Amino acid sequence: MGFSINAGLLDAMVLSIVQNNDTYGYEITQYLRKAVDISESTLYPVLRRLQKGEMLETYDKEFMGRNRRYYRITTKGNDSLEEYREEWRSHKKKIDSILLNEGAENNEQT
Amino acid sequence: MNKLEFLTRLRNNLERGGLGPDDINDALSYYEEVFLDAGFGKEEETAASMGSPEEVAVNILRESGIHVGGAPVMPPQRMNAPQGQNGPAMGYVPPKKKASGGTIALGIILGVLTFPIWLPLVIVVVTLLFTLIVVLISVFIAFVAAAIGLIIGGIAALFEFPAVGLMALGLGLFLTGIVILICKPAVSAAVPAIGRGIKSFCGWVVGLFKKGGKENV
Repeated sequence: MGFSINAGLLDAMVLSIVQNNDTYGYEITQYLRKAVDISESTLYPVLRRLQKGEMLETYDKEFMGRNRRYYRITTKGNDSLEEYREEWRSHKKKIDSILLNEGAENNEQT
Repeated sequence: MNKLEFLTRLRNNLERGGLGPDDINDALSYYEEVFLDAGFGKEEETAASMGSPEEVAVNILRESGIHVGGAPVMPPQRMNAPQGQNGPAMGYVPPKKKASGGTIALGIILGVLTFPIWLPLVIVVVTLLFTLIVVLISVFIAFVAAAIGLIIGGIAALFEFPAVGLMALGLGLFLTGIVILICKPAVSAAVPAIGRGIKSFCGWVVGLFKKGGKENV
């Protein structure tokens, strides 16, 4: 069993990974695999979408005699990531309040 | 499915879906890079982890706003998926498909086709085991022969050169003692141990093939 990840959350996680470090597709997938069960074929459309939305831009870097495409976050991507994070915080809080009985309105903890 | 086959089928599907040439090249270079990054010799595994090129193509087309007939299959996405529950090494998530008769047959074919690789390996292991046994037996025989020779030679030399004869005799008896000491526990321990070793090795080889048939490909 598991919880499904929607496209928005995936976008946000990819943006966050790229914000930490410019990186390439394969590495992003390996990173995401720590939390989510996805494959390269799931990631490509996400990267393409973010690229078309001007959240990410790409550049090629030589690696062992071939070019590897690196992704870099744009200002727009940074702004969008901040929004995602804010949204996630409130979303998480709401879910926790029900799922973990945390911070119910009458006994506000944390 | 190897890299070339995967990429060719992906290209065909994207072209059929009417994706622009730039987008097609972008996608293909991405997937080619994935194969290269996954490492040489892992093409089959990588292709399997991505699902069929048709599914991949449908996902790309849908993302580009092209609607494809039939329900597009989204690869399963789960949070905190237990890693490596049924997966091979490298953290690859194998496609959630049962091994059909086809894949088992493919595994057998692969096993047969790769026999130039595993056959020499098996021969080398068997030869090494055999050599080890022969060496141990030879050393043992050498000890016995030396002991007997020294005793006989010692007795013969005893009358002509008493000092040399006594020394040879003493060495011979000394070696006899060592042989007897080694012989008793070694024979009682080594014979069943070698038997068990050969038996378990055979079992391992057989198990390798059974497993290979199931998991390979």
